[in-house]
Amino acid sequence: MTDERNVVIVPCSGIGKTYGTVSREAAYDVTEGLRPADTQLVALSLLVLGDEAARAAVAENPAITIDGCKLACAAKMVRQSGGTVAHEVAVLDVYRRYKQFKPQGIAQLNEGGQQLARALAEEIAGVVDDLSAAGNGGQNG
Amino acid sequence: MTEFLETTVDKFRFKVATDRYYSSEGLWAQELGNRIRIGLTDFLQQRSGDVAFAEVKPDGTELAVGDEVATIETIKVNISLTSPVKGKIVEVNPNMETTPEAINQDPYGGGWLAVIEPADWKTDQAALLDPQAYFTLMKGQAEEEAKKL
Repeated sequence: MTDERNVVIVPCSGIGKTYGTVSREAAYDVTEGLRPADTQLVALSLLVLGDEAARAAVAENPAITIDGCKLACAAKMVRQSGGTVAHEVAVLDVYRRYKQFKPQGIAQLNEGGQQLARALAEEIAGVVDDLSAAGNGGQNG
Repeated sequence: MTEFLETTVDKFRFKVATDRYYSSEGLWAQELGNRIRIGLTDFLQQRSGDVAFAEVKPDGTELAVGDEVATIETIKVNISLTSPVKGKIVEVNPNMETTPEAINQDPYGGGWLAVIEPADWKTDQAALLDPQAYFTLMKGQAEEEAKKL
């Protein structure tokens, strides 16, 4: 994490779950590939553990959460950590729009899962652009 | 107003509506005048996971007991659902096309699958489980599932 203010991406930590893997792959794609200068990845597990740097990151920046199931742990933990969820995504909702990309696999996603993660990442990159353009990228909320 | 039998197994709470009949696979059949509405039980929807897509056979489809009436795709599995009733589909829940998550949100209400014009409801009814019998069966199934966690 850096001191620069930008958009925080918090994916699901559903280890062993296909939709959790899709959420993390999409988060990596955004933070490392599509919008590395505008985003930072915060691991949900660090928020659960109360890591100070992670809590500060979500408290000081708008967050995009990516959840793999309806428990919505990522969105809940960001709010519990004092952050603002600027945009909330559920992988299942995205999959309903891309039925042709059926995700399978856990440690290694199948091609459909990779395509779904890519589509999700591109949607999130668009949201990052919107937040940045609106001048919200450097402010909480 | 629908009443329920309820039980908690591990951290999960399951409901069984008392105003309908059940197949052992977890489909319910409810009399509506001379027609039968069918859907998934609360236990089956919770065990199956969040529904991504549901495809129900179209209006006019003739079904025997045990014929596939719908398929659902969830975040965990693809399931073929078999009809607990012999007859003809006369109505399909339009929510299944647009908001199949209704199965998870309201399995005994807005998440119904289809309405069937039965060919011999009395015979089919006799082969189904009453709410108490399904409740006992479901509780056993849920406890078995909990042991795997």
